[in-house]
Amino acid sequence: MQLAVNIVVLAAIYALISCGYVLIYRVSRVLNLAHGELMLVGAYLLYSTASLLGGNPLTAVAMAAVLGLLVGVLVYVLLMRRMTGEMVLAAVLCTIALGVMLRGATVLIWSAQVRHPMEALGWSNPSLVLFGDARISLISAILIGATAVVYAALFGFLGFTRWGIRMRAAGQNPLLASQRGIQLHGVYALAWGLSTFTAGLAGMLISLDSSLDGTMTMIGLKAFPAALVGGLDSLAGALIGSAIIAIAEVLLIQFVNPLLSDVVPFFVLLAVLVIRPWGLFGSKEELDRV
Amino acid sequence: MNRWKMIAALAALSFTAAPWAQDAYVVGLSGAVTGPNADTYAPGVESVRLYIDQLNKRGGVNGKPVRLIVGDNQGEPSKAAADAKKFITQDNAVLLANVSISSTYGPMVAEAKRARVPLLFAGGACPAEVLPPNPDELQFCSIGPAMKYDAEMALRFIKEQSREPVKLGLVAMAIPLSRAGIDYAESLAPTFGITPVAKEQIPPPTPDYTPYASKLKGADPNWVYSWGPWITEVKTFEALRKLGWTGRYIAAALNPAEDELARVKDELFYGFGPNAMFLENLPVHQEMRDAARGAKLTYPITQMTEGWVAGMVIEQTLKKVAWPPTPEKVLAAIGTLKVDTKGLRGGPIEWSKTNHFGSKQHYRVYRWDAKKQAVVRVQDWVTVDVK
Repeated sequence: MQLAVNIVVLAAIYALISCGYVLIYRVSRVLNLAHGELMLVGAYLLYSTASLLGGNPLTAVAMAAVLGLLVGVLVYVLLMRRMTGEMVLAAVLCTIALGVMLRGATVLIWSAQVRHPMEALGWSNPSLVLFGDARISLISAILIGATAVVYAALFGFLGFTRWGIRMRAAGQNPLLASQRGIQLHGVYALAWGLSTFTAGLAGMLISLDSSLDGTMTMIGLKAFPAALVGGLDSLAGALIGSAIIAIAEVLLIQFVNPLLSDVVPFFVLLAVLVIRPWGLFGSKEELDRV
Repeated sequence: MNRWKMIAALAALSFTAAPWAQDAYVVGLSGAVTGPNADTYAPGVESVRLYIDQLNKRGGVNGKPVRLIVGDNQGEPSKAAADAKKFITQDNAVLLANVSISSTYGPMVAEAKRARVPLLFAGGACPAEVLPPNPDELQFCSIGPAMKYDAEMALRFIKEQSREPVKLGLVAMAIPLSRAGIDYAESLAPTFGITPVAKEQIPPPTPDYTPYASKLKGADPNWVYSWGPWITEVKTFEALRKLGWTGRYIAAALNPAEDELARVKDELFYGFGPNAMFLENLPVHQEMRDAARGAKLTYPITQMTEGWVAGMVIEQTLKKVAWPPTPEKVLAAIGTLKVDTKGLRGGPIEWSKTNHFGSKQHYRVYRWDAKKQAVVRVQDWVTVDVK
C-alpha cells in the first residue's frame, strides 16, 4: 500500500511541474528550460513572505502565489515578448540564459543556505495514517489535492472560458488568431503567468514538505521527461507521462536499484521518443528538418 | 609614437604591479560559493575569509598581510582547474586551497603538481592521498570528517548504545565519496557484531525521499548510519519518521548539524563529528562570534568551524615562512605543522612527512534533549587512531 502512495505522491509532483512546460509549449511552441529555476523562485518567494508575515501564514502563502504569477508575466513582458516572431531556437536559448541568471540571483538574494519555509510559517507537517498502515505527510496529501485542482482548473479554463479558447487558438495558428483580433501578447503573458504560478506552487509545496535549496532546479529538470513522454502540447499527456515516470522510478527504487531512479525518467523518454517522437498524446507536427 | 607610449605605459604598469603582488602572502582558494552544492561549502569559504580578515586586522603574518583570493568553482572541475591556473600564473599564490566537492580535487591537484604549489583541502572530505603512510608531497587536509574513521567511530558508538542486536540501515548520497564511506561501513559492521540489513544510495536531486525511506524501513533496521552531505542525511531521517519508523539514527555532523538538530528536535537523532559545537561555548567560539559581529556574514557562525580551522592552519603555516614567500618555503613549512585548534578539535592538527591528515581523529556526539530543550553532548571526545 505504501508503494502505491509513494507512486501517487511522486506522480503528483511531476504532474504539477510538467503542466507548466505544457502550457507554454502549447501556446507558443517554446520549450521553457528555466522552468526549474522559476519553481525555485516561487519557493523562495514563499520563504520571504513567510519570514515577513510569519504570524499570518495564509496571507504569506497567498501573496507568494500571486507574486509567482506576476514573476511569470514579468518574464514574458520584459524578456520573452522580444522573442515573438523570432526563431523558436532563440527563445529556447533565451530561457536557458534566464535560468542561469535566476540561479545566480537566488544565491545573491537568499544565499545557498538550506531554508525551511515550514518553520517560517510556523506550521507543522504531521504524518497521516492511511489504510493498510500506509502513511503520507500532510503536505504530500495537499500536493496531490493541489495537482488535481490545478489540472481540473486548467482543463476547465482551456475548454470553456474565453481566454482559454483564445489560448488554444493562439497555439494552433497564431497568425489567424491575431487576424481574428486575439491579443497574442496578452495570451502569451497569461500562459507564462499560469506556468510560473504552477511551477511556483510545486516549488512551495516541495519546500514545505522537506526543505528549500538550489537542487530544486534539478527536480524541475527531472519532470521534463514526464511532459515529453505524454506529449509536450497535451495536458492529459503530462498527467499520464508523470504517472508512467513515477511508477517506473518508485518500482526501480523498491525492487531493483535506487541508483537507477535518476536515469529511469530519461530512459523512458528515450524509449517513447524512438517509438513516438511527439509523445503519447502529443500532436504530430510538421517536420522542419530531416 | 602612440604605440611606443602604450608599450611604455604597460611596462611601467608591470613594474608597479610586480612589487604589489609580492607585498602579501597570497593564498588562492577555489570553492563552491554558488552552484548546487554551495549550501555545504559556501559557509567554509566565508569562514576562511573571515579568519584571514581578522588575521590581517591583527597585523597579518610576519608583518605582512595575507591576501586571500577566492574563486567560485560552482562545484565544477573545469572551473576549479581554471581557478588554480589563475592563482598560480597570475596571482603568484604560494598556497592553494580547495573548499568544494571531491570532483574538483583532481584538476586542482594536477595544476598544483605542475607548478609544485602545496594544496590544502579545507572543506568537504579528505582525499586518500593525504593519509599515511605515503601521502602525496603536495596535498594536505585540515578537514574533520574522514570516511574510514567516521565509520569506525559511528559503529563503535552504535554498539555501545545498544543492548539488543543491531540491525543497521545505511544511507549515502549517490556520489562517489559518500557511497564509498557507506560501503566501508557495511564491510566493517560485522566486525562489531552489527548486521547491515539495507543500504540506500540516494541521488542528490530527489523530489521525494519517501520511496527510499520506505525501502529502508521495510528492512526493519533499529539503527541507521548515514554518511554524506547533510541534506541527504537529514531528509532521509525525516522521511523515515514520517513513515513511522522509531529507530535510532546517527549521521556525520557536517556544517549545519548544530542548527539542524535543534530544528528537528528528535532525541534519537545523533550527530557525531570532529568539531566542537557552539553549545560548548569555548573561548574560541566567543572569538568567532566577536569576529562575526563586525562582519556582514551570509551564513550562521555555527557553520563556520571547518573554515576557521583551515584559517588557523594557513596562519600557522605562513608564520613559518620567511619573507619573501615561495611555494617551496610554504611546502617545507606545511609539511611539519602542528596547530593548536583551541578546543575546536579534540587535539592538535599535526602533519609529518608520512602523514598529511593527522595521527588521531577525535569525535564528539550530540543530540536533542527534550527536557533541556537544547542540543546536548552525549559523548565526549573519543579518539580513533589513524593508521
